[in-house]
Amino acid sequence: MAGKHLSRWTLVWFGSAMAMLLAGCALGLLGAADPQGWSQGSNLAVVHLFVLGWLCQVMLGALIQFVPVLAARPLAFPGLALPALVATSTGTLALALGFLALDGHQALQPLFLLAPVLIGLGFALVAVMVTATLWHRDSLHLAEVRMVLLALAALVGLWLSGGRMVLALAGLGPAPDLSAMLPLHLLLGIAGWLGLAACGVTYKLFAMFLLAPEQGGRLRGAIFWTAAGLVALLLAALLWLLAGGSAGRATALALALLPLLALLALLYLTEIAQLWKARRRPALEPNMLWSRAALAFLALAAALAIPGWLWGGTWAETAVFVALVGWLSTLTLAQLLKIVGFLTWIQVFAPRIGHQPVPMVQKLGSTRAASACLALWCAGTLAGALSLLGASPAGYRLAMALLSLGALGVGRELIAVRQLAHLPPAERPGQLPHLMLPLLHPRPRAETRS
Amino acid sequence: MTDQIRQALRAVFDPETGRDLIAMGMIYDIRRQAGHAEVTMTTTTRGCPLTEVLRLGVQAALLAVPGVTSAEVTLIWDPPWTPDRIEPLAF
Ligand code: HEM
Repeated sequence: MAGKHLSRWTLVWFGSAMAMLLAGCALGLLGAADPQGWSQGSNLAVVHLFVLGWLCQVMLGALIQFVPVLAARPLAFPGLALPALVATSTGTLALALGFLALDGHQALQPLFLLAPVLIGLGFALVAVMVTATLWHRDSLHLAEVRMVLLALAALVGLWLSGGRMVLALAGLGPAPDLSAMLPLHLLLGIAGWLGLAACGVTYKLFAMFLLAPEQGGRLRGAIFWTAAGLVALLLAALLWLLAGGSAGRATALALALLPLLALLALLYLTEIAQLWKARRRPALEPNMLWSRAALAFLALAAALAIPGWLWGGTWAETAVFVALVGWLSTLTLAQLLKIVGFLTWIQVFAPRIGHQPVPMVQKLGSTRAASACLALWCAGTLAGALSLLGASPAGYRLAMALLSLGALGVGRELIAVRQLAHLPPAERPGQLPHLMLPLLHPRPRAETRS
Repeated sequence: MTDQIRQALRAVFDPETGRDLIAMGMIYDIRRQAGHAEVTMTTTTRGCPLTEVLRLGVQAALLAVPGVTSAEVTLIWDPPWTPDRIEPLAF
């Protein structure tokens, strides 16, 4: 059946993630993500709408869609995708509301405690689907497959660290030193989970879009083993801390890993540069052109990690901002435009191939619209990074405005793609696909005449 | 006799690159015996979601060739596709 490798709920995952991104941007614009008061509940709420609601959800949805491509095998337990989505999205909202309990809204405390349970359930369901799909003799030798599995190991650590901090903030259990837990939480979340998952997926995705030969040689193996060592150390430090070990040592270890992380980023970028050089497709679409900006932000985040390691404070904050907003979000926004076009194409035009002329996938999107909103997003990232370094509230406000405009633009373009608005009317189907609801598998027309 | 089939396959496009399947080097083998046509093909990536779509496209194109009454399209990934299979002037 055409489209049997498509997960039905992918667009709902993406829609939920986009909604959280827009909500996060709007609240940021209203001043609820103030760099001067990170430990306020309202700030933590906006930060987690962004990292969990946007980045984690979009990554989980993308993995559900993409692991069958990585493993060349249909998705295992596809029925878990919807419950997982319900759990992560409600869990994220509960966490965001729950953080407000820290600002004195005591009535929200139960939501704060419920949140890690829901989030953990969502993570676990996706982890089961992804692991069961990838865990196979034929795919485990691929470094990119192992990298995604490693990302899931880091996700467990992320959840443990986040959940433990929630308990501590809610006044339950012996309070661990939060300032020691936080660096581990950040490294596991950004580098371990989101970062490694992005690396694993992009190896394959970039090779496909660039028509570049599959490389995966020694360099990729070395990157994987270095990353595996890093994740193992982070998890060990976390367990040590959870078991009551000394906070000083855990923090020292986390900080000592920063230069290694920067090196890892450099190695990954070197490999991607080789892939880029070997490509057979000269003219690139916005998804790949703007992925270059994302990769440049990765290089910038890695560079900022060094002063962040030496001096901490604003430098570290800026490195985190550039990694989350510049690298991971730009990459995701750019690829999202392409992937939604691709899924829409399969949904609408797959049944017509060989019978009627069909448009190219790229005709479903607008290069100009995509580039304009991604440019706004990147400008917002740069403005945000500079205003954090220069402690400029006005600059930060401007950055939030640019990011909001960029995100709104991407949202609008995604809707246009779903509605096939960029196609000449004659090429549009009589009935438009639903904006988000389940991707129904297209049914092939008459298969044979024999 | 396979020329007609090759020509028909030149009209099946990879919707991602806009190139036809022969130019992309995705057609491995073409055989025809009287009204029966057989094609062995691949896709650029084994797990590619377009795999089945392209197979059906080739099937439909074969059946549209005058004289062809039955068609069989087989997908294989061994040998795997590499960009070296793309025709030199395709891009
Ligand atoms: C990729 C996912 C995640 C990322 C990137 C992330 C990132 C962050 C960041 C940047 C902070 C510090 C914010 C600040 O200082 O204002 C933070 C704090 C916190 N996070 Fe997360 N987070 C993630 C997932 C989670 C999860 C799943 C939970 C709970 C289940 C959680 C619970 C917390 C808590 C309780 C704090 C407060 C720590 C404190 O007050 O010092 N986080 N997180």
